[in-house]
Amino acid sequence: MTFFANLTRAGTIALSVWAVAPMLTQAVQAETPQDTLVVGKSADADNLDPAVTMTNNSWTITYPAYERLVQFKVEDGRGLTEVEPSLAASWTTSEDGLTWTFKLAPGHMFDDGTPVDAAAVKASFDRLLAVGKGPSETIGPVAEIQAPDAETVVFTLKEPFGPFLSALATNGASIVNPSFAEHEKDGDLGQAYLAEHTLGSGPYRLESWEKDQQFVLVPNPHYSGPKPALSKIVVKVIKEATARRLQLENGDIDIVEELPIDQLDTLKGTEGVTVVDEPSFYVTYLYLNNTHPPLDNPKVRQALSYAVDYQGIIDGILLGRGIQMQGPVPVGMWAHDDNAKQYNYDPDKARAMLEEAGVKDLSLTFVYAKSDPNWDSIGLVLQQYLADIGVELVLREHAYPTMREKLNTGDFDIAPGNWTPDYGDPSMFMNYWFDSRLHGLAGNRAFYTNPAVDEMIRTSVNLTDQSKREALYLDAQKLIMEDAPYILLFQKNYTFAMRDNVKGFVYNPMLLQMFNFESMSK
Amino acid sequence: MSLANIIRRRLLLLILVVFGVTLVTFAISHMIPGDPARMMAGERASDEIVEKMRENLGLNKPVAVQYAIYVGQIARGDFGTSIRTQRPVISDIKKFFPATIELALAAMLFAIIVGVPLGVISAVSKDRLIDHLSRSISVVGISTPAFWLGLLMILVFYGQLGILPGSGRIDGVIGPPTTITGFYTIDAALTGNWPAFKSAVQHLILPGLTLGFLHLGVVTRQIRSAMLEVMSEDYVRTARASGLSRRQIIYGHALRNALIPSITMIGLAFGDLLYGAVLTETVFAWPGMGAYVVQSISSLDFPAIMAFTVVASTAYVLINLFVDLIYMVLDPQIREVG
Repeated sequence: MTFFANLTRAGTIALSVWAVAPMLTQAVQAETPQDTLVVGKSADADNLDPAVTMTNNSWTITYPAYERLVQFKVEDGRGLTEVEPSLAASWTTSEDGLTWTFKLAPGHMFDDGTPVDAAAVKASFDRLLAVGKGPSETIGPVAEIQAPDAETVVFTLKEPFGPFLSALATNGASIVNPSFAEHEKDGDLGQAYLAEHTLGSGPYRLESWEKDQQFVLVPNPHYSGPKPALSKIVVKVIKEATARRLQLENGDIDIVEELPIDQLDTLKGTEGVTVVDEPSFYVTYLYLNNTHPPLDNPKVRQALSYAVDYQGIIDGILLGRGIQMQGPVPVGMWAHDDNAKQYNYDPDKARAMLEEAGVKDLSLTFVYAKSDPNWDSIGLVLQQYLADIGVELVLREHAYPTMREKLNTGDFDIAPGNWTPDYGDPSMFMNYWFDSRLHGLAGNRAFYTNPAVDEMIRTSVNLTDQSKREALYLDAQKLIMEDAPYILLFQKNYTFAMRDNVKGFVYNPMLLQMFNFESMSK
Repeated sequence: MSLANIIRRRLLLLILVVFGVTLVTFAISHMIPGDPARMMAGERASDEIVEKMRENLGLNKPVAVQYAIYVGQIARGDFGTSIRTQRPVISDIKKFFPATIELALAAMLFAIIVGVPLGVISAVSKDRLIDHLSRSISVVGISTPAFWLGLLMILVFYGQLGILPGSGRIDGVIGPPTTITGFYTIDAALTGNWPAFKSAVQHLILPGLTLGFLHLGVVTRQIRSAMLEVMSEDYVRTARASGLSRRQIIYGHALRNALIPSITMIGLAFGDLLYGAVLTETVFAWPGMGAYVVQSISSLDFPAIMAFTVVASTAYVLINLFVDLIYMVLDPQIREVG
């Protein structure tokens, strides 16, 4: 035999061994088991400690692993922004709105079988405040927590806080088993342990977490509610959207999050797949720097607001999956104003207003990052819209941390932003966006100042009477829409896809990327 | 110089290299504007919370002091706490580094097993059809974007044929084997966990092929040109004249000499694989260092970036050392001269 034949044969064998051998042993993909739900998400969780994490990707895991004093109501299979009892059976508020007393419901237990009593609730909130990270702020101005007896928890607030109940339904207010103290290392209040484990009383508990690969959730044997139908939840991290989609089509995954809009369209006609497409509180808007002349002139800001083709952006960039915002409070949230002024696309009016304001040869910067792919497209169309009214827009792309820094210091003329509320209360929009004490990244990213608005929104957030609060917010919105501190673009739909044999999913705009696994089945 | 001396000298050099690399990375990453403390606290956090965070992270100290503290920590084997995940960096590195090495080894194995014979065939039949074919494969390999190739692999082998898994390191239901080395294939084999072994190998194939294919071209070309050069050497002609068989000439003389320059290249390519696998890792949801470091950079996670730098530069230096040692085995001249 010649050398050649030998070599070729060697090569062929090597190739075949590499490619064929494992195929012989590979089982063809099958549907996932009936009591197992597999979710595919685009990014890993960062940290599972409710007192630390601020990301929805972590909340996917933590929300079903813990319970909170209150939970969002479900009516006719729809999640509402109002809350109802969960760990707390009932509650009362003092006249001045500073003291909240909760009576705990009996029978709730952590996953180690110990009861969720008042001492545990107090320990959990004390820990949240002592850790002092982001989530400690979302629950409101809590001064002190007391547990006079095993069933009673009393919160004392520093000032009245209207959205308090709503805030207690957020992930940060999850009740952690006081056994965290056993895992304490160097006075970290169990942070290192809780970053990678769950210690809750929710329907599920974390069984394992392989970083950047998958989570496995299993039922909490001591859960007080009905036994869940799903005995295993696997949450897989698959960064590539196409790969996620393919696995859904093949039936290896039951639910796929965060698919780009074009991929969703391809999936629409696929057999066995349902696309969930629901209105959300996720809004996209433009910050106009109200301190940079001539943007300090409301007339100029109004002119810019008239220069934008809102429907064009929704149709072109979102492929129709969204609606134009009307006022700063999104549709579906109380204090949304159906009659709020809405700017329409009117370039002639925009040009006339600019002329009236005596503005000529205007050049503005648009500071953005690629962290949201839509921002790039928005910048490009905005450049065109503004060119149309004689304004030059210079696009400046930065790394996201750098963009954030510029937003915080006001080093921009126009910048795009997204916002979702932490709790189901309009203060998440009205107070954060317009309070002049919150200039910068904290919320008022337009650096907007209007003392009359400040007065109304601050009064509103300190009241507990919802109708009074609503009236104040509606009045404030009238002033705000005339001042046009932001260009309000769109309220985006929340979309994901799932196998059509998945039953019982309840959509709640407050719980994006959080699932009611305990009442879902296949 | 004795072998022990060479290794000793190189290890000393390693410390210097790592020290230099950390200094540069630390300086650059702290020059980028952006406040990691705010990132951690959440964007909407009050200044008070952000300030507290900054203090906890030691970010309020001068950069030089931060660096000194950092070097002290590394010396004790402590890579600090990640800013993004607020978990110890070392636990992430321990998970992600073996994953990347395992993938890089699989890719390299493929590139060598296929690339070396292809290069030899190509050289011995220069300008014939098979040579053109192999050169085309090289060009395609070198110029194909990993992203595209990966997706294509997934579409065909997972989507259409359904014979190989499309993402991850192991089947979710089987779960990873007990950790010994961090290499799933090796750990599964060591613990006799055969279902996990099978699944780990299956999961390794597509990303391994994708990444390996990109280096296949480099290996083939290198071997081909080295072989061509060697084949025209006098000693090969002498060997031929003395009546040795073609096979003996090529295997016994030519290939061995052609391998020497190729080993340097393969060693360097392996170093590239350690951090060049980002795209492949992303497409296949492979939980490796590449994807990890990209995420870390985009959130200005200094401790994670630094830890990656230290690990990668150490690995790079060690690979170079290893390559040099192989040299000595293959080439007696180097062994003697040192």
